Amino acid sequence: MAQGIQIDWLGRVAYGDALELQRLAVEARRAGGCGDRLLLLEHPPVVTLGRSTRPENLRTPRAELRARGVEVHEVARGGDVTYHGPGQLVGYAIVDLAARGLADVHAFLRGLEGALVEALAGLGVAAGTLPGMTGVFVAGAAPPRKLASIGLGLRGWVTWHGFALNATLDPADFGDIVPCGLRGVEMTSVARELGEPGGAPLFERTRDAVTRVFGERFA
Amino acid sequence: MSIAVELPALGESVLEGTVARWLVKEGDRVELDQPIVEVTTDKVDAEIPAPAAGVIEAIVAGEGDVVPVGGVLARIAEGAAASTAAPKAAPAAKPAAEAAKPSPAPAPSAAARPAPPAPAPRATPVAKKAAAEGGVDLRALEGTGVGGRVTRADVERGGRAAPSAAPAPAPREAAAKRSAAAPAASAAPERPAFRADFGHYAIQEGDKVVPMSPLRKLVAEHMVYSKLTSPHVGTVAEIDLGGVSRLRSAHKDRFAETQGVPLTFLPFVVHATVRALREHPALNASVVGDSLVEKKDVHIGIAVETEKGLVVPVVRHADRLSLAGLAGAIEDLSARARTKRLSADELKGGTFTVTNPGRHGNLYGFAIINQPQVGILRMGEIVKRPVVRTVDGSDAIVIRPIMHLALSYDHRAVDGAPANAFLHRVRELLEEADFDF
Repeated sequence: MAQGIQIDWLGRVAYGDALELQRLAVEARRAGGCGDRLLLLEHPPVVTLGRSTRPENLRTPRAELRARGVEVHEVARGGDVTYHGPGQLVGYAIVDLAARGLADVHAFLRGLEGALVEALAGLGVAAGTLPGMTGVFVAGAAPPRKLASIGLGLRGWVTWHGFALNATLDPADFGDIVPCGLRGVEMTSVARELGEPGGAPLFERTRDAVTRVFGERFA
Repeated sequence: MSIAVELPALGESVLEGTVARWLVKEGDRVELDQPIVEVTTDKVDAEIPAPAAGVIEAIVAGEGDVVPVGGVLARIAEGAAASTAAPKAAPAAKPAAEAAKPSPAPAPSAAARPAPPAPAPRATPVAKKAAAEGGVDLRALEGTGVGGRVTRADVERGGRAAPSAAPAPAPREAAAKRSAAAPAASAAPERPAFRADFGHYAIQEGDKVVPMSPLRKLVAEHMVYSKLTSPHVGTVAEIDLGGVSRLRSAHKDRFAETQGVPLTFLPFVVHATVRALREHPALNASVVGDSLVEKKDVHIGIAVETEKGLVVPVVRHADRLSLAGLAGAIEDLSARARTKRLSADELKGGTFTVTNPGRHGNLYGFAIINQPQVGILRMGEIVKRPVVRTVDGSDAIVIRPIMHLALSYDHRAVDGAPANAFLHRVRELLEEADFDF
């Protein structure tokens, strides 16, 4: 039961609903009621604030964001501010690390990064990681251009949260925040790196590439 | 049977974690595998489940504490018979002398000590810590915890109910030793051990708990130290920046082009401050022991708010710099402060400080003195206001850019009249606006 990973595309899911889904999936995984899962989805526009978010990293007042239809969520997690929105492929990984004999959460983080790098390579984007920074970046870019953010939660040895890969969303959508509190890091997307206009076909190709690589790596 | 809840090894490169939030409190019943505490590590938040069912006997690591892998977070009295099992399982409570540990006691002082303390009651580590901090004598308290142990709640109740309870020897003694050991030249008063309980906030579900960064702690300590050291007095001047504003408008484009830095109001204020300090050296001073020391050099600290918090880099020999030199030095130091590329030396040795905490919602305010200096100027927002001026021999209401400039000074070193004279001189210099680039 521990081996294999069930990958589901859930479509567009509100942030709060996705949190609840994850909570249920984590409980089920811990109780042994299901195996490992990867929930793929995208969120309507939402800014999430972690416990260590510094106020200056939210550049636009909350009231203005809400007026523009951007939700603002305070989340019981570490880390700084993030933005999610349409065109960003979000993957929530519900994985029992102990059952996989992989009781090393940083090794799992690196595993997620590696899988994304491989999926991006399949799409024609040369990506890699940067020492001291979590996430996936365009290979060799200076200043760094970030393609995917990663953040994990752990309940016992079961992971939750995961990655957010900018597939076709407009990197300008990050303009309201300082992503992860990192100044000097530019956000980019698969579409921008490929010089393609984006849209549904590229998003689907990105989703399929991620699905294939995760299916292989977590077989 | 008492079971320790330890921070598990979450990964090869995870060496420690910060306790973010307790999901249970002492005395709570927990089930096996129930998440009891959230710990944050680099990029990962981990909820640590209870390794056994039982009663939380003691929370060992408080919120914000950094715990190494393998470090004990809490103890659980296993099973239902917790109350009878606890006393045996708890390591014999260490004697109260433990609390005085920070200062290794020189042997002779043993004679001067009070009689050996009565055996201290059993208390949870958190309660011990709270008692030591609050100056509460554990022996005066009745424990309501498991097996009659004194809990933090007992300490808090005790501190409130009996602010005049028997003196707690430990903190006093430690304080006395610290001051005896301090170098004689240090004018710093020992921070008093507060004996009354001024209240503690019990963290609640949903609250955001942010452990202080090392810089935050340093700033906090400096602020408390300064307030305890210097009796602060504040005084405010209303300054007409019409002249400076015209000068700035006339020069700023060319200035940015030739100097490569923007021309803000700050270098004008610093320039005027430096000139006024030269004329009023009592403000460019320090209190050293029983002396006032007026310094030969003028080094101006510029408060800069960075992503990591407040830092105050120093413009050395600010009196030797032109306006352009000041603008360049300030821009360079603030840029490097924000990218954390300042050397330690660049943060030291200021003789006076200017702070400009932002333009909006800031009519004026009084800054805390940057020790061991004796004065600090704080810029308010610059706003156009109607003011009365004499035009062609009669009073008229005109519109001028007005800034309130607030001086905080150390009344140990300076009295009101000279402090006001200094501030008035800064105002004159800014209003005359006779600046060379």
